[in-house]
Amino acid sequence: MQIVFFALRNFNRARTRTWITVGAMAFACAIMIFYASLLEGWLAGMEKNAVGMELGEFQVHAHGFRADPDLYKRIGGEEEVLALLGREGFIAAPRLYASGLAAAGNASSGIELRGVDLAREPRVTALNEHVWQGQWLAQEDRSGVVLGRKLARILGLGVGDEVVVVAQAADGSTANELFRVRGILKSVAEGVDRSGFLMTSAAFRTMMIVPQGAQQIVVKRQQATEDLNQATIRLARLLPNHEVRNWRQLQPVLARLFEMSDVSLVIMLLITYVAVGILTLNALLMSVFERIPEFGVMKALGFSPGGLFAMIVMESMLQVTVAVCLAVAVGLPLSFYFSSHPIDFSGFVQSSSTIAGVALDAKWYCVVTMNSVVLPVLFLYLVAGLAILYPALKAAMLKPLDAIYHR
Amino acid sequence: MNNTPLVQLENVSRIYQQGKVQVSAVTDFSFTVQGGEFSVLCGPSGSGKTTILNLIGALDEPSQGRVLLEGRDLAELGRGDLARLRRDRIGFVFQSYNLNPVLTACENAEFVLALQNVPKALRRQRVMAVLAEVGMAELAQRRPDELSGGQQQRVAIARAIVSHPAIVLADEPTANVDSATADAILELMERLNHEQGITFLFSTHDQRVMARAHRLIHLRDGRLEHDEVRG
Repeated sequence: MQIVFFALRNFNRARTRTWITVGAMAFACAIMIFYASLLEGWLAGMEKNAVGMELGEFQVHAHGFRADPDLYKRIGGEEEVLALLGREGFIAAPRLYASGLAAAGNASSGIELRGVDLAREPRVTALNEHVWQGQWLAQEDRSGVVLGRKLARILGLGVGDEVVVVAQAADGSTANELFRVRGILKSVAEGVDRSGFLMTSAAFRTMMIVPQGAQQIVVKRQQATEDLNQATIRLARLLPNHEVRNWRQLQPVLARLFEMSDVSLVIMLLITYVAVGILTLNALLMSVFERIPEFGVMKALGFSPGGLFAMIVMESMLQVTVAVCLAVAVGLPLSFYFSSHPIDFSGFVQSSSTIAGVALDAKWYCVVTMNSVVLPVLFLYLVAGLAILYPALKAAMLKPLDAIYHR
Repeated sequence: MNNTPLVQLENVSRIYQQGKVQVSAVTDFSFTVQGGEFSVLCGPSGSGKTTILNLIGALDEPSQGRVLLEGRDLAELGRGDLARLRRDRIGFVFQSYNLNPVLTACENAEFVLALQNVPKALRRQRVMAVLAEVGMAELAQRRPDELSGGQQQRVAIARAIVSHPAIVLADEPTANVDSATADAILELMERLNHEQGITFLFSTHDQRVMARAHRLIHLRDGRLEHDEVRG
């Protein structure tokens, strides 16, 4: 208790220096809380785009489809599969895929036709809410299609324009159809942006002569708390005759990017805090060295080396604690403000920019998590703790007599 | 009856290394101090007075010989034991007071008791009694920079005696105060010695201090010149 008392008394001794040190630590910590929240938000946006728009949490395919996508490699009895998944706590939607060629005016482009189950897809992904221009698909509008953003640009198409599609139907005949652009998606992922050609599953089945089956079933957990890997294993056991992959397996680069995000945060913390640590070390060294004669007297009066070490560390930790309180008081409201008022990087980020094939959202939100607050705070304590070790040890090891007459 | 001297120095030498030169501050010095003494180490500057006080106070180590306090050889004690010894058995009064600038007079005086983990209420009671003894009770809440030199030295004396140490070592305690204050401080210490039996050992070349001493240990060039016991 005496150590705390002495530390408290010494806190405000060199007022200007103490508050400059505390201010520097608080500023760095507040910035890092904001940065960590922004990073969390950016990752959440990426995950939303990747998982929530396109991949789903899991995908089920017929064996061999992923290695060699083919109109004929379909999951048969998809309604039974969907019903089974529903009973086992999963939400699922079937998708149909085929390759084709789209033409409009003098432009043409290879496309990936996708038949969407309008009733089920919105329960698994939020693609229907991600329309940039026009409207999402509608059951009653069978000739209406939604295009990826880049594809629309390549073909020079806008909402309401007509587009012709040619493909090989499942029976070997040539399938061709005239569609009208009903909507254009915001940026989702490289594949969808570049060649996504979405239509209702009914229109797809009619055009491609695929009365049954689906190439892909996109699946989501009903309880997001269930571990992803455990859920993958459970899903694979339910569907032993199909290929089951979670989004981390489907997009390993993206998964790695997310895993590395903590590392990148730690690196940023280290870079920022090392600078703060040097400032802190300098201030603490000054604080210790100018008080060496005083420490000598304290030791002469019976203050133990351990007690002196603890007192100096306590003084430092007190400063860090004040800095942390200030940082949280500033950093948290700042992060919460930007969680509802995104920073718009539209001027700097191209609308088509992607990372690991996933569209980069030009608007960055902050997402405040336990991690985004606790990590910067813990690191500040760690760096300050390391910075104070040398001066505290030096003071503790001083001989009283040398210290008293130190000049 | 315990005849062990309070302080015992046996053939003590202290040699300092100053660059490439060895300087002998104390040479083959032996003496004892009994409990209740009011003694003075006197001699010109550089005669080794402060060095001997530092050796007795466990602030320094002899190059040769032994220093014993209450029969315990200080060389056999570790850093922690020496810290406890200084805390519990020795009181220091420094020439330049050396009060902690962030503590009040009362807190400075109770510093040692706080290190001894004496309960706060008891601590405060004892400190206020001692501050009253040294005439500082009314200024107990002032910080050192709000006190005169003499007042600071009184607080330093209170700090030195409040824990009832075996001996108070006072290094030139009157050097930085005016004559009237010096007389008052000496009178105070003499009274504490007389009434409470506190052992005082001074280092000084102040004639006023020497005039009040019961014993004068004259030093010259680090050696004992003459040990004079007065009635």
